Amino acid sequence: MSALALERPALAPRVRSLLARRGPLLVVLAMTVYLAATAKGFLGAANVTASLTQAAPVALVAMGLAIVVIGGGDDVVVGGIDLSIPATAALATAIVSDQLTTYGTPFAVAFALGILVTTLLGLLNAVLVGWVGLSSILATLAVYVAVVGITRVVSGNRRIDVSDPLVVAVRDTRVAGIPLAAVLMLVVAAVLVLVMAGTPYGRRLQAVGGNRDAATFAGIPAQRYIMSTFVIAGVVAGLSSLLLVARGSGSSPGIDERLMVDMVLATFLGAAFTRRGTVTVFGSVLGALFVALLSNGLILSRVANAWVDGFKGVLILLVVAAAAARTNEETRA
Amino acid sequence: MSTTASRTRWSGVAGSAAATITRYGFVAVFALLLVFFSLASDAFLRPSNLLNVLDGVAILLLVALALTVVVSSGGIDLSAAVAVDFGAWFAIVSMMSFGMPWPAAVLLGLLGGALIGALNAFLIVGLGVTPFLATLGTFFIGRSAQQIGTNGGASVSFRAAPEGFTLLGSGDVLGLGIPVIIAAVAAVGVGILLHRTPSGVRIQAMGLQDRAAVVAGLRTRRIRVLVYVGAGVLCAAGGILLSASLRLYTPLAGFSYLLDAIAAVFIGASMHPRSRPNVPGTVVGVLFLGVLANGLDLLGLDFNVKAAVQGVVLLVALALAYTVAQRARAAAERRPATRVDTIATGAPPTGGITPGGGA
Repeated sequence: MSALALERPALAPRVRSLLARRGPLLVVLAMTVYLAATAKGFLGAANVTASLTQAAPVALVAMGLAIVVIGGGDDVVVGGIDLSIPATAALATAIVSDQLTTYGTPFAVAFALGILVTTLLGLLNAVLVGWVGLSSILATLAVYVAVVGITRVVSGNRRIDVSDPLVVAVRDTRVAGIPLAAVLMLVVAAVLVLVMAGTPYGRRLQAVGGNRDAATFAGIPAQRYIMSTFVIAGVVAGLSSLLLVARGSGSSPGIDERLMVDMVLATFLGAAFTRRGTVTVFGSVLGALFVALLSNGLILSRVANAWVDGFKGVLILLVVAAAAARTNEETRA
Repeated sequence: MSTTASRTRWSGVAGSAAATITRYGFVAVFALLLVFFSLASDAFLRPSNLLNVLDGVAILLLVALALTVVVSSGGIDLSAAVAVDFGAWFAIVSMMSFGMPWPAAVLLGLLGGALIGALNAFLIVGLGVTPFLATLGTFFIGRSAQQIGTNGGASVSFRAAPEGFTLLGSGDVLGLGIPVIIAAVAAVGVGILLHRTPSGVRIQAMGLQDRAAVVAGLRTRRIRVLVYVGAGVLCAAGGILLSASLRLYTPLAGFSYLLDAIAAVFIGASMHPRSRPNVPGTVVGVLFLGVLANGLDLLGLDFNVKAAVQGVVLLVALALAYTVAQRARAAAERRPATRVDTIATGAPPTGGITPGGGA
């Protein structure tokens, strides 16, 4: 009796803490094993490259959102968030498609225009938050609504097909077997990770996001740093439009809604994979990859369409709940 | 508790010009919009049209009220959209497939919303998942459940709905639509709950300083469960009214209310001196969105152009109201400290103020 009583508290917490610490990873592993067993060709090259291509635009916008959240703090009400990214990316997609097909604008000029528009919209967000003083959720939500409307006017709420050879090339080119979209995603991720971790700008931005008051007292112009994050998000949204045009061979109405859900999911799910449960650039890429692999895997294992969303929701909650359990464990320890 | 209560009231900083302008800056912009529409369209100020505006925003108001409470408590509810759907779905199906009397169907519809709220509460309170992800997960699951239940998202039409049920959606008392009355009663009820009762103070305390609320001995877990379940029920009420007026349940129809409701809540928060969500502000926000949609319809704009103009007007209105408020706040800060300022700085940190807010 006494031996049992001694042994139990010694073993159980260790198992529990192991489960809790490695929880999110274990859920992902279990899912991968399950899908590899049931879905034909899940680990095949075709599916992996398809998932990469699918994840790339989502990963780009999710990284943009991550930068804004890092700089503004992760409080939902007063923290930093940019909900306008999917809408500006969709607008750029529509503008680029429209320019290429209706006006015959050269490829480079069309994309420069797209990136210019999203950067200006990022600047608009920055001004609304930094100078006008709107909370970032309200400012970017209002920009989202306005931009979705403008997109409808630009595209006439119709699908625009693009058959520009360069767009087809972007879609089909592979660099060492990796789709060009994934290469672009990795390059942007590498640049942003380096900027965040290795430059004074990145470190100060993290300080601003961690504790704005302290950063201000330390002499960092917090407001300007926060404003800069929206501009970065705008540029990244423009870049993602390149991949969106290539992936969809043009622009279709309603891509902003899907992108919104996937972006928020990727960014905040990515936080579950990181050690301290915070939003990071790299975590967002992982989040986007996870969501894409999951969607493709479920389709490959012939899960009925209507069930895919439900499975996605349950699995995502499992990962997130595991991460929450880990945080609880650490607070207790 | 009584001092906390008086601080959460707007009157806490009343008297300072800055607060007044913050409070009324957006209302002034709203008034300008009303003047513009009444000049641009003869039909706008007709009583029948104003009643139309109210009819148009009743359901949105219910969803926005739910979000006001949730955001006040420091959370967010992205699953409000599926709670609306579940209300409509449960009500219609229980009458159509199970032949229940309509009052029972209404109760079941509300139960559907409570179910969504309970799932959120379980995830947030039970498992400790952040509200953003928890309610997004619930949103996915609720959406999928509807697609499975309706064979991929087909609408369920119930033309032979009992008269009592359809009256809920399309009846009127002295010209006022019943949905409008229900929404107004809910607004008053939620307003009193949030701004005039100890429970409301507790909800707001949780939203401002969660740790402090726990240390102060609040049973935050229980309050949070009630907040999410209550929000689900309010949203479901909106869904039931929607299905009653259309005699139809359309899967995923609730999504269109979500973004508008969030916008209304934060418009309302923008009118608060410390940027907190509040019921009167939410009502103004909802009315603003309703008037804007109605007025643009009267101008006869193309559907696509209307969406663009709507967004741009919302942006300009917010920017105007905020710029004016900022100027006023800056001007007030330049004046020597008054008694009101001393009280304000003596108050505990509220979290609503950010150092950049006044810059």
